Amino acid sequence: MQRAIEEAGIPTIIIAALPPVVRQTGSPRAVAPLVPMGANAGEPNNIEMQSAIVRATLEQLVKIESAGKIVPLPFEYAAKV
Amino acid sequence: MSLTVVKGLQSEIYVPITPPPVWAPVKKELKDMTIALATAAGVHHKEQERFNLAGDFTWRKITDTMPSNELMVSHGGYDNSDVNKDINCMFPIDRIHELAKEGFIKACAPVHAGFMGGGGNQEKFKGETGPAIAQMFVEEGVDGVILTAG
Repeated sequence: MQRAIEEAGIPTIIIAALPPVVRQTGSPRAVAPLVPMGANAGEPNNIEMQSAIVRATLEQLVKIESAGKIVPLPFEYAAKV
Repeated sequence: MSLTVVKGLQSEIYVPITPPPVWAPVKKELKDMTIALATAAGVHHKEQERFNLAGDFTWRKITDTMPSNELMVSHGGYDNSDVNKDINCMFPIDRIHELAKEGFIKACAPVHAGFMGGGGNQEKFKGETGPAIAQMFVEEGVDGVILTAG
Protein backbone atom coordinates (compact mmCIF):
# COMPACT_ATOMS: atom_id res chain seq x y z
CA MET A 1 0.00 0.00 0.00
CA GLN A 2 2.70 2.42 1.05
CA ARG A 3 4.66 1.55 -2.09
CA ALA A 4 1.62 2.10 -4.34
CA ILE A 5 1.03 5.59 -2.91
CA GLU A 6 4.72 6.36 -3.21
CA GLU A 7 4.75 5.15 -6.84
CA ALA A 8 1.92 7.63 -7.52
CA GLY A 9 4.30 10.41 -6.45
CA ILE A 10 3.09 11.09 -2.90
CA PRO A 11 5.67 10.74 -0.10
CA THR A 12 4.62 8.43 2.75
CA ILE A 13 5.74 7.29 6.17
CA ILE A 14 4.54 4.31 8.18
CA ILE A 15 4.19 4.04 11.96
CA ALA A 16 5.18 0.45 12.60
CA ALA A 17 4.96 -1.78 15.65
CA LEU A 18 6.86 -4.52 13.82
CA PRO A 19 9.88 -2.87 12.14
CA PRO A 20 11.36 -6.14 10.75
CA VAL A 21 8.17 -6.70 8.73
CA VAL A 22 8.36 -3.18 7.39
CA ARG A 23 11.97 -3.73 6.37
CA GLN A 24 11.14 -6.89 4.44
CA THR A 25 8.21 -5.38 2.59
CA GLY A 26 10.32 -2.50 1.28
CA SER A 27 8.86 0.50 3.08
CA PRO A 28 10.47 3.78 1.92
CA ARG A 29 10.15 5.61 5.28
CA ALA A 30 9.21 4.27 8.69
CA VAL A 31 9.18 5.17 12.35
CA ALA A 32 8.99 2.64 15.16
CA PRO A 33 7.79 3.70 18.61
CA LEU A 34 7.90 0.98 21.30
CA VAL A 35 4.26 -0.05 21.02
CA PRO A 36 2.31 -3.27 20.59
CA MET A 37 0.59 -4.07 17.30
CA GLY A 38 -2.81 -2.42 17.64
CA ALA A 39 -1.63 0.80 19.27
CA ASN A 40 0.91 1.96 16.66
CA ALA A 41 0.08 5.63 17.27
CA GLY A 42 0.29 5.28 21.05
CA GLU A 43 -1.62 4.42 24.19
CA PRO A 44 -5.44 4.72 24.03
CA ASN A 45 -6.71 8.10 25.29
CA ASN A 46 -3.14 9.33 25.87
CA ILE A 47 -3.45 12.45 23.74
CA GLU A 48 0.00 13.70 24.70
CA MET A 49 1.74 10.50 23.57
CA GLN A 50 -0.30 10.14 20.38
CA SER A 51 0.31 13.75 19.45
CA ALA A 52 4.06 13.41 20.06
CA ILE A 53 4.22 10.24 17.94
CA VAL A 54 2.31 11.82 15.03
CA ARG A 55 4.41 15.00 15.24
CA ALA A 56 7.69 13.02 15.28
CA THR A 57 6.40 10.89 12.38
CA LEU A 58 5.70 13.99 10.27
CA GLU A 59 9.13 15.40 11.13
CA GLN A 60 10.73 12.17 9.89
CA LEU A 61 8.62 12.31 6.71
CA VAL A 62 10.55 15.40 5.64
CA LYS A 63 13.85 14.45 7.32
CA ILE A 64 14.55 10.90 6.08
CA GLU A 65 16.87 11.14 3.09
CA SER A 66 16.88 7.70 1.52
CA ALA A 67 14.55 4.73 1.04
CA GLY A 68 14.44 1.95 3.61
CA LYS A 69 15.17 4.01 6.70
CA ILE A 70 13.43 3.03 9.94
CA VAL A 71 13.76 5.58 12.75
CA PRO A 72 13.08 4.38 16.31
CA LEU A 73 10.92 6.80 18.30
CA PRO A 74 11.44 7.29 22.05
CA PHE A 75 7.87 6.54 23.15
CA GLU A 76 6.89 3.43 25.03
CA TYR A 77 3.53 1.87 25.75
CA ALA A 78 3.02 -1.68 26.98
CA ALA A 79 -0.57 -2.89 26.74
CA LYS A 80 -1.98 -4.43 29.88
CA VAL A 81 -3.37 -7.75 28.67
CA MET B 1 25.15 -15.65 -13.91
CA SER B 2 21.85 -17.40 -13.30
CA LEU B 3 20.91 -17.69 -9.65
CA THR B 4 19.32 -21.11 -10.25
CA VAL B 5 22.01 -23.73 -9.88
CA VAL B 6 19.74 -26.76 -9.68
CA LYS B 7 16.55 -26.49 -11.71
CA GLY B 8 13.33 -27.06 -9.76
CA LEU B 9 15.04 -26.96 -6.37
CA GLN B 10 12.87 -25.24 -3.80
CA SER B 11 14.05 -24.20 -0.35
CA GLU B 12 12.10 -25.53 2.61
CA ILE B 13 12.69 -22.19 4.28
CA TYR B 14 10.56 -19.26 3.26
CA VAL B 15 12.91 -16.48 2.28
CA PRO B 16 11.21 -13.11 1.77
CA ILE B 17 12.63 -10.97 -0.98
CA THR B 18 12.75 -7.26 -0.30
CA PRO B 19 11.48 -5.39 -3.36
CA PRO B 20 13.52 -2.59 -4.97
CA PRO B 21 13.16 0.80 -3.24
CA VAL B 22 10.42 3.27 -4.13
CA TRP B 23 10.83 6.94 -3.37
CA ALA B 24 8.66 10.01 -3.87
CA PRO B 25 10.55 13.11 -2.75
CA VAL B 26 9.02 15.59 -0.31
CA LYS B 27 8.46 18.87 -2.16
CA LYS B 28 6.98 21.10 0.52
CA GLU B 29 7.51 22.10 4.11
CA LEU B 30 5.24 20.45 6.67
CA LYS B 31 3.34 23.69 7.24
CA ASP B 32 2.37 23.66 3.54
CA MET B 33 1.38 19.99 3.34
CA THR B 34 -2.07 18.39 3.22
CA ILE B 35 -1.81 15.10 5.08
CA ALA B 36 -3.97 11.97 4.72
CA LEU B 37 -4.11 8.78 6.77
CA ALA B 38 -4.12 5.23 5.42
CA THR B 39 -4.37 2.30 7.77
CA ALA B 40 -4.19 -1.46 7.47
CA ALA B 41 -5.90 -1.72 10.86
CA GLY B 42 -9.38 -2.38 9.44
CA VAL B 43 -10.82 1.05 10.26
CA HIS B 44 -14.17 2.13 8.74
CA HIS B 45 -17.36 4.03 9.57
CA LYS B 46 -19.98 2.16 11.59
CA GLU B 47 -22.40 2.42 8.67
CA GLN B 48 -19.92 0.94 6.20
CA GLU B 49 -19.64 -2.75 5.42
CA ARG B 50 -17.37 -4.64 7.81
CA PHE B 51 -14.29 -6.39 6.51
CA ASN B 52 -14.32 -10.14 6.01
CA LEU B 53 -12.07 -11.22 8.87
CA ALA B 54 -10.87 -14.27 6.95
CA GLY B 55 -9.09 -11.99 4.43
CA ASP B 56 -10.32 -8.99 2.49
CA PHE B 57 -8.62 -6.88 -0.17
CA THR B 58 -11.37 -4.23 -0.34
CA TRP B 59 -11.02 -0.79 1.23
CA ARG B 60 -13.22 1.90 2.74
CA LYS B 61 -13.10 5.61 2.00
CA ILE B 62 -13.15 7.51 5.29
CA THR B 63 -14.14 11.11 4.76
CA ASP B 64 -12.57 13.74 6.97
CA THR B 65 -15.98 14.87 8.20
CA MET B 66 -16.84 11.50 9.77
CA PRO B 67 -16.68 12.01 13.57
CA SER B 68 -13.97 9.82 15.12
CA ASN B 69 -16.48 8.33 17.58
CA GLU B 70 -18.41 6.92 14.61
CA LEU B 71 -15.41 5.01 13.32
CA MET B 72 -14.79 1.38 14.24
CA VAL B 73 -12.50 -1.54 13.48
CA SER B 74 -13.15 -4.94 11.99
CA HIS B 75 -9.88 -6.86 11.78
CA GLY B 76 -9.21 -10.45 12.75
CA GLY B 77 -5.44 -10.24 12.91
CA TYR B 78 -4.55 -8.27 16.05
CA ASP B 79 -5.86 -7.52 19.52
CA ASN B 80 -8.53 -4.85 18.94
CA SER B 81 -8.99 -3.94 22.61
CA ASP B 82 -6.87 -0.77 22.54
CA VAL B 83 -8.32 0.53 19.29
CA ASN B 84 -11.86 -0.22 20.51
CA LYS B 85 -11.16 2.12 23.45
CA ASP B 86 -9.74 4.87 21.24
CA ILE B 87 -9.65 4.79 17.43
CA ASN B 88 -6.71 7.24 17.51
CA CYS B 89 -4.38 4.40 18.60
CA MET B 90 -4.36 3.17 15.02
CA PHE B 91 -6.05 6.02 13.19
CA PRO B 92 -4.81 9.27 14.79
CA ILE B 93 -7.44 11.41 13.06
CA ASP B 94 -8.14 13.69 16.04
CA ARG B 95 -4.40 14.30 16.46
CA ILE B 96 -4.01 15.24 12.77
CA HIS B 97 -6.91 17.67 13.09
CA GLU B 98 -5.23 19.29 16.10
CA LEU B 99 -1.91 19.60 14.23
CA ALA B 100 -3.70 21.21 11.26
CA LYS B 101 -5.46 23.63 13.58
CA GLU B 102 -2.22 24.74 15.20
CA GLY B 103 -0.55 25.14 11.78
CA PHE B 104 2.03 22.35 12.13
CA ILE B 105 0.61 21.03 8.84
CA LYS B 106 -1.47 22.98 6.33
CA ALA B 107 -4.54 20.76 6.38
CA CYS B 108 -6.09 17.40 6.86
CA ALA B 109 -6.98 15.70 3.55
CA PRO B 110 -10.71 15.44 2.78
CA VAL B 111 -10.40 11.65 2.46
CA HIS B 112 -8.53 8.84 4.19
CA ALA B 113 -8.34 5.10 3.60
CA GLY B 114 -9.02 2.04 5.72
CA PHE B 115 -8.24 -1.52 4.70
CA MET B 116 -7.49 -4.83 6.40
CA GLY B 117 -3.86 -5.82 6.24
CA GLY B 118 -2.16 -8.98 7.39
CA GLY B 119 -3.78 -11.29 4.88
CA GLY B 120 -6.09 -11.40 1.89
CA ASN B 121 -5.24 -11.56 -1.78
CA GLN B 122 -1.83 -9.86 -2.01
CA GLU B 123 -1.97 -9.62 -5.81
CA LYS B 124 -5.27 -7.73 -5.57
CA PHE B 125 -3.80 -5.44 -2.88
CA LYS B 126 -0.78 -4.72 -5.05
CA GLY B 127 -2.53 -4.46 -8.42
CA GLU B 128 -5.93 -2.94 -7.51
CA THR B 129 -6.45 -1.72 -3.95
CA GLY B 130 -3.12 0.09 -3.59
CA PRO B 131 -3.35 1.94 -6.92
CA ALA B 132 -7.04 2.85 -6.28
CA ILE B 133 -6.22 4.43 -2.91
CA ALA B 134 -3.17 6.18 -4.40
CA GLN B 135 -5.33 7.55 -7.23
CA MET B 136 -7.85 8.97 -4.74
CA PHE B 137 -5.05 10.74 -2.85
CA VAL B 138 -3.62 12.17 -6.10
CA GLU B 139 -7.05 13.48 -7.17
CA GLU B 140 -7.61 15.08 -3.76
CA GLY B 141 -4.26 16.91 -3.83
CA VAL B 142 -2.68 15.05 -0.91
CA ASP B 143 0.96 16.03 -0.23
CA GLY B 144 1.88 13.29 2.24
CA VAL B 145 0.42 10.16 3.83
CA ILE B 146 0.89 8.63 7.28
CA LEU B 147 0.23 4.90 7.36
CA THR B 148 -0.28 2.66 10.34
CA ALA B 149 0.37 -1.04 9.83
CA GLY B 150 2.82 -3.76 10.77
